[in-house]
Amino acid sequence: MKLITRKNFLSIVCISFTFMVTGKLIFERLIGHTDRYYTENILLCLGFCIMIPAVLSVHYYLQRFPLLPVLIVQYLAVAAVTLGIVAAVDSATGTDTNAYRDMIVSVTIPYVAGAVLYYAAFFRQVKKANAVLAELSAELS
Amino acid sequence: MRFIKTKEEGLGENYLELHYNEVDNETREYIFRIEGSLATIEGTCDDMRVTVPVTDVLYFESVDRRTFAYTEDRTVEFREPLKDLLDRFGDTGFIRISKSAIVNVYKVDHLQGDLNMRVLIFLKNGEKLVMNRGYRKEFFAQLEKIRGKNKA
Repeated sequence: MKLITRKNFLSIVCISFTFMVTGKLIFERLIGHTDRYYTENILLCLGFCIMIPAVLSVHYYLQRFPLLPVLIVQYLAVAAVTLGIVAAVDSATGTDTNAYRDMIVSVTIPYVAGAVLYYAAFFRQVKKANAVLAELSAELS
Repeated sequence: MRFIKTKEEGLGENYLELHYNEVDNETREYIFRIEGSLATIEGTCDDMRVTVPVTDVLYFESVDRRTFAYTEDRTVEFREPLKDLLDRFGDTGFIRISKSAIVNVYKVDHLQGDLNMRVLIFLKNGEKLVMNRGYRKEFFAQLEKIRGKNKA
């Protein structure tokens, strides 16, 4: 996996944003949906596209700490920022009554899915390495 | 290149003999790897100078700027830093697993992942080492490289 650094951060944000917005537009076109909150949702996509690479980029620098606490603290930080943004939007223009809950769900689902995929890839890598070690041992015996 | 193994009853010490007409790239590669495997390192153990075949070393560890090699039955101290040891023996199966340790993959029994994404390394003598997350990628890449070399 490519390391997210200051140099490539902006390009990663732009690429993610392009994919996300294109996916959103194609999906809406396919189901015939018209987004009443188009501008807000596009800005929200941009927020996600900045926040997720930001979280992933600091992950590398936290490698000396145990992973589980790091994941939990990162999740809490992301949730706090999300709630802060919703609160700001709420005070400026007003939001739906379920806005806080919906936003937390929107953050939690990709975060948990990402963590599960990350763990699955890790344990698969360990399993593969064990197969290589068994192969090397068989060659020696 | 052909590989012939011959069992000789009553032989005092096992030996390898290479027959060649010309040292081509393949032969050079084998010589390099065999020489690396047959290399020895000199250090001190209980205030005595000792020589240890590098293939006997389970892992190297650096503690308080001193370097130790651990074998099945003894601990040998060296003056050489880990980086130099890795340069010398990296091609013979030694891979870095943390800032302060290098393990001999041929002495690794199996790996186990934990929830903190650290990899626990169980050695064939029952010892357990911990690989830091930062060295995982390099370890797996090196392991694949060793497998590739052995298959070639």
